[in-house]
Amino acid sequence: MADGRHFQILYLGSFLLFGVFNLGWEVEALNFLLVVGSCLLVQLLFAWYHGLSLTTLKSAMISSLGLCILLKVNHPSTAVLAAAVAIGSKFLIQVEKKHVFNPVNIAIVLTTLFTQDAWVSPGQWGSDVALLFFVGAAGLMVLLKVGRLDISLWFIVTFFGLEMIRSLFYLGWPADHFMHFMTNGTVLLFTFFMITDPVTTPNHPMARILFSVAVGALAFVFTHVLYMQSGAPIWALFVVSPSTLFLDRLFAYKRFSWQTHPAR
Amino acid sequence: MKKIIIAAAALVLSLGKLHAFCGFYVAKADAKLFNKNSQVIIARDGSHTVITMSNDFQGDVKDFAIVVPVPVVLQSGDIRVVQQIIFDKIDAYTAPRLVEYYDENPCRVYDRLMYAPTSVKSSRADTERMVMEDEAKANGVTIEATYTVGEYDIMILSAKESDGLKIWLTQNGYKLPEDAEEVLDPYIHDGTKFFVAKVNLEQYKANGYSNLRPLQIQFDSPKFMLPIRLGMANANGTQDLTIYGFTRRGRMEVSNYRTTKLPTDREIPEFVQHQGLFGSFYTSLFDKAWRSEGRNSVMLEYAWDISGSQPVKCDPCPAPLVSFRELREAGVWWIEGNSWGDGYTGELFVTRLHARYSRDKFPQDLQFIATPNRQQFQGRYVVRHPASGPFDCEEGRQYQADLKRRKRLEVEELVALTGWDGSKFGWYFGGGEGKSGGVGFVEPLVSPDSAQSMLAMTQSSDSGLPNDDSVGKVSGTLGTGSDAFIARAQKSSTKSLGARMVIFISALGLLLAGLLVRKRIPQIRAGGPAVRP
Repeated sequence: MADGRHFQILYLGSFLLFGVFNLGWEVEALNFLLVVGSCLLVQLLFAWYHGLSLTTLKSAMISSLGLCILLKVNHPSTAVLAAAVAIGSKFLIQVEKKHVFNPVNIAIVLTTLFTQDAWVSPGQWGSDVALLFFVGAAGLMVLLKVGRLDISLWFIVTFFGLEMIRSLFYLGWPADHFMHFMTNGTVLLFTFFMITDPVTTPNHPMARILFSVAVGALAFVFTHVLYMQSGAPIWALFVVSPSTLFLDRLFAYKRFSWQTHPAR
Repeated sequence: MKKIIIAAAALVLSLGKLHAFCGFYVAKADAKLFNKNSQVIIARDGSHTVITMSNDFQGDVKDFAIVVPVPVVLQSGDIRVVQQIIFDKIDAYTAPRLVEYYDENPCRVYDRLMYAPTSVKSSRADTERMVMEDEAKANGVTIEATYTVGEYDIMILSAKESDGLKIWLTQNGYKLPEDAEEVLDPYIHDGTKFFVAKVNLEQYKANGYSNLRPLQIQFDSPKFMLPIRLGMANANGTQDLTIYGFTRRGRMEVSNYRTTKLPTDREIPEFVQHQGLFGSFYTSLFDKAWRSEGRNSVMLEYAWDISGSQPVKCDPCPAPLVSFRELREAGVWWIEGNSWGDGYTGELFVTRLHARYSRDKFPQDLQFIATPNRQQFQGRYVVRHPASGPFDCEEGRQYQADLKRRKRLEVEELVALTGWDGSKFGWYFGGGEGKSGGVGFVEPLVSPDSAQSMLAMTQSSDSGLPNDDSVGKVSGTLGTGSDAFIARAQKSSTKSLGARMVIFISALGLLLAGLLVRKRIPQIRAGGPAVRP
């Protein structure tokens, strides 16, 4: 059975290339190299310390690609910091050997909050329908391997559903107003690649539904009550992530492992 | 050595047409209105915003009115009129620029300077007569406030439904465009207010201004956006909007559409410099770039750190630096003046965005975020003037050969940037010695679409020296109640904990709670399918 991480690396890598070459993102190659290098290095250090195998570098690679795509910085030092936070958090914020926060998620939150040097560009993808298809299809394929499609679906139903009700029915905008929102690449990437991290989401199916609905609802609240333009879903996930501590106790279930998980 | 200044323009000016900003211009007569190019300055820090709307109202229409959706009811101290000249200054400062260099004859040594261009002055609007309208209320329309500020009579309206608002406007003899309701309803349901301004004729005459001055408003709101959708209501095709964003830390970005940089730092043929061609060059370049990005992207034209402590506030500088008083006039409230001259202290970043939008590609209002992105950008196009002969040394002859190749590349670059027909420019690299626009220069044939815009540029072209006199200074009397206006802004931008910090602390709290009470949580559900090894 294939390791789902291979697909993730492939797709995230192609998204990154697409963004850089097709969408003309302003990139500092140095920052990318530092992020990838730092992620791998920190992972290596922790893996050596804990006696883990080198296959864990794949997860670090995925995190580094996610950071390159989502997080933007001015100074190279911030890039290194973000990488260190991402990987370090996996080992330092752990409960029963399961880390609590998605590494890219916590890195984005902490660097945007505490350095004046990092930000997320929600508009960097644009809204071409082809992109919607691309990200969606790619995401689906990866998730089929990993088996956490239910989280994406429940998140979409909640977040997009609330947004649709508000835009279309409550405010009365024409349909393309909501459609424009649905095709935002950053939200789609979050839906299929960040929130679906199998390690930092609850184990039990019922718990996962609660989790995703909570993130979706909170993301909606953050967008329209707090007017967070950049990254409401990212912050929503950050807040809801610690709830896995509760949910995994309330709903006991086997935990996820990349190696032993059967591909569904 | 005479300083030759080249005119560089970024605005497309349409003479004799009406421009509307985020509101829509409604007229008494059944005239067709075109919204072409508007300018707006946004200053934003924290949750406080100052918006200044350039007034390019021209034409024969007797009645002028503007409707702008605003998030809150504005107080009288939140509204003032400012001088139109600040738009000219900021435009000139941030406009894409044409730079010229002179080659040295490798067989000689010359004294050369780098020349910086200036932007073209915009033509002034003709004087319009405005008629004061009687206020009339319609069902569900509440006039929240009424003010007279400068030459304007202003009302802040709230409406319960778009029908009521429509009736009120219609009772005043204003015809609403067909599609306006599609946009009014969502605003009304969202609790948005409507800022309506018309001209008070007596004040207008008493003030002695010959043009309508820009209106400036400020408010506290976490919303950071421009309601362009309303302005699309009476639009045919596309509209252009140039946004000058002043923020503290870094670039202002659009969060719900892509922002694309325009091609920059390109070498283009000499002849672009002549006969106002740079204007049509830029408009063609912009059009081509906008189309190739799918027509749904906002284009970045300038981004620069102009903090007080920044030594290099522009490079090259097409216009004098924007002074402290001009920035205050533009609504930037968080900087402080120096004790001498026009300098200032404080952090400041300026972003110039150019949006060309149409109903089909821009279904949402523009939303913005203030990012810490300090990367600088400018539209810069380079013309290299060949050295003049004789070339009586080995290097000189090599130079001539290289020159021909370079000229060919310049034409290729021009074609790539503008989409013009390259076959018309063969004469440029065809032969002969390098001469700077002298003998043998033939007016290039330009593509028909740019002919009109070229005409517009030539008419408004002004190739005088850019000194303070020509572009003008902000005069001693600033807008009505200006100090009070700025003081209100400074008072209102108070520091608060910030929503994100609160969220972060909540997450920490939840984590701690989870760690502490974990062991005591009962199990509700258990089990699942057996794991296959």
